[in-house]
Parts: sequence; structure tokens; C-alpha cells
Amino acid sequence: MSFALPARQVTFGRSNAQALQYQQQQQQNGLALPGGNPYQPQNGLALPGPSPLSNVYQQQQQQQNGIAPTAPKAPSPPPASNAVAGPSSPVPSTPIPLTLEQQHITAVEGIVPTLQNIVATVNLDCRLDLKTIALHARNAEYNPKRFAAVIMRIRDPKTTALIFASGKMVVTGAKSEDDSRLASRKYARIVQKLGFDAKFSEFKIQNIVGSCDVRFPIRLEGLAYSHGQFSSYEPELFPGLIYRMIKPKVVLLIFVSGKIVLTGAKPRRLHPTRTLDVISVLWPTSVSSNANSTASPHQVREEIYTAFNTIYTVLCEFRKP
Amino acid sequence: MASAYYEFYRGSSIGMALTDSLDELITSGAITPQLAMKVLQQFDKSLADTMVKQVKAKTTLKGHLKTYRLCDDVWTFIVKNASFKMEQNEVITTPRIKIIACKNGDAIEAGKK
Repeated sequence: MSFALPARQVTFGRSNAQALQYQQQQQQNGLALPGGNPYQPQNGLALPGPSPLSNVYQQQQQQQNGIAPTAPKAPSPPPASNAVAGPSSPVPSTPIPLTLEQQHITAVEGIVPTLQNIVATVNLDCRLDLKTIALHARNAEYNPKRFAAVIMRIRDPKTTALIFASGKMVVTGAKSEDDSRLASRKYARIVQKLGFDAKFSEFKIQNIVGSCDVRFPIRLEGLAYSHGQFSSYEPELFPGLIYRMIKPKVVLLIFVSGKIVLTGAKPRRLHPTRTLDVISVLWPTSVSSNANSTASPHQVREEIYTAFNTIYTVLCEFRKP
Repeated sequence: MASAYYEFYRGSSIGMALTDSLDELITSGAITPQLAMKVLQQFDKSLADTMVKQVKAKTTLKGHLKTYRLCDDVWTFIVKNASFKMEQNEVITTPRIKIIACKNGDAIEAGKK
């Protein structure tokens, strides 16, 4: 077999000039990313051991359980569903500090939306030869006639990455923010091991999808009528009601059965890179590669919870008799 | 590339026999090396077509897909604890097998369009 390696530099969609310009922009943004190499000093991709963070969460969880008087009534689903995060990360992906109102509702009803998918993007900040990656990495697919990216999968955390020649990467399928980040790091490490100067920069969660079941049927017509401003219900096109919540900006698919899908949650803070700039100005020494991400991830999940709790009170009104 | 067909069937016993015979003919001066090349290219093509059109044997494979790869239209699979079930219900198991799957015959032409 002879694989004629194409000499062409693949520049999918973006001309070299554009790419160059883009790189320059990156430099101007002062994005030469935290501390030069965010990687090596931090033990690379090694699984995050039980960090102090995780302990904090566990404690909080315990406290919550202790406080909420009705907690025992709540059936097992919430913890079980959140445990989906898998054995990969020792960090429990269970709730983060909730507001009082949220605590009240989740505790009473024992319903916490389960995170089903998290989509994140990373900039590896280096041009990649996709063919090399496809040839040497495992579990990679590259069919440039169909799609201009390498599709790569890892088993733990079970995720899929789309790796583009520009060095941009999209990681999907993670069930928690931490898993998403860990998986992204693993992909970055794989690319690095293949001999590219890949960095781990601009990690950003782009979307979070959650789902849950309120365990009672819902009158969608009534809901669509009284919340017409937010609702779109066309049973002939799609059996669910599409509810576009404004604050938080989340889209909900609500079904007669009481099953709900929540999607579109994003970090609403400053753009992470900008946050980083600000931080680096204020505390030039304290900037780490985590600076942009530890700030945002759980913020995103909270949007899902807030949206659910907001809609839950509404749904109770439209419970089918 | 002169031929769009893979040359891997030349390594089979029938391919080796053909190559040996051609070698003999060349050394005895009966044919030119160019002609021998032509014959081999035709062999690649004929065998590829025959495999598609005339070989009907089938087997089913079960196992744990350890790794896979798709590059240059070639799929590579490494399957752990594979078991092949042949047509006569004969089962063959192996702890590890590597499968390399290439496009063949018409599929190559189709892929080019």
C-alpha cells in the first residue's frame, strides 16, 4: 500500500493570510497563555486527585443533606443521576452551592436535572497536520472528503473530539464540567504526544444540556397560551413545547409526560480570555491556566438548575388534573 | 499511480505463484519486464473484481472493539476476544485480531467521484 502524503498544507476554509492574521490577533490579546506552559508543571493530564475542591463539595453536600428536613423523602434519583459522571473523575459532580430558593425546591421535590451533555471548545494554539494525527492516534477518523476534522474518541471520560487543522478543538459528550475539562486535556495531551506544540488554552464550555422528569403530566396548551411570549407549541410539527426562557437564557423542551430537556446554558460572564486579562493585570503572579475555567464552569450548571426551578413552579400550575 | 488497485493480493499464494512464473519467463527471455508488470496490474484488478462479484462466503464477527482508525479510506480495527461464526456454524475465537479494510473495485471508483 502506498499512502501518498499530500504536500498541501490543509487550511480548511481559512486562507493562510487569514490564519496569520488570526494568530496575530491572538498575540495582541496577550493570550500567550498563563504561565507559558500550562501543562507540564501541573502533572499534565494525570487524573486530578481528590483535590481540595472536591472535598469542599462533599462537605457542602453533607450539609445540605443535614439541613434539608425532607431530604429522606427524596428518592435516590438525584445522586444516582449525577453520578453518571462516571468513575473517571474522583470529583463528585454533585451540586454546587445552590441558592435558598433552589435548595427549597430540589429538596422538597427531590428532582435535580441530570446533565446529559456538555460541549466545550479548546484552542490548541498550533497548526495541526490532521493526517499525521489520524495515522498515529487511536480511535481517530479522518475523511477529508466528508468533514474537515479528525474525529477522535476516548473511553474515559467517554467523549468525542473534533480536531481541526487550525488547532481548534470541540469536545462533546461529557456529563460534567470537570469531565469535559479532563477529556479536553487528555485530547490535548494526545495531540502533544504526536509531536505538535499543542497548548491548552481558551477552554470554554459552550453548551450544557440537562434533562429531568417532574413526574406529572402537563397541559401544554394551557402553558403555551398563558406564556405565549416564551412558548412555541406546534404539536403537528413537534410534540414538545419549546420554552425560551429569558433569564436565565435557556431553552426548555417540555413534554406532556412531564419530561423536560434543558439546553443552551452557557457561561454568561465576561469572555473568559477577557477575564483572564483583567486578572493578569490585577494579580500578575496569580494567573494560572485554571484562572479562566475555575471561575466559570459551575456557573453554567447553575443556569440549568435555576431554569428548572423557575419552570417547575410554572409547571405546577399546568399540571393535568 | 498507474493502477488504482491495491497490490496486496500479490502476496497471496496465487499471487506469489504468478510472480514466480513471470520471473522465470523474464529470465528465459520469453517476455519483457514491462509485460510482466502489465500482467501483475491486471491480476490486481481481476482479483479485486472477483472478490467482490464471485466470493459469497460470509462470516459474522463479535468482540470488543479496542481501537479503530479511518485514514485514506482504510479502516483499521483491533478487536479483542473476537469470535467468528462461519457459515457452517463453525466458531473460531481469538484473543486479539487486527482487521484492515480497504475499498475495493467499484467502491474505489465511487469514492473518487
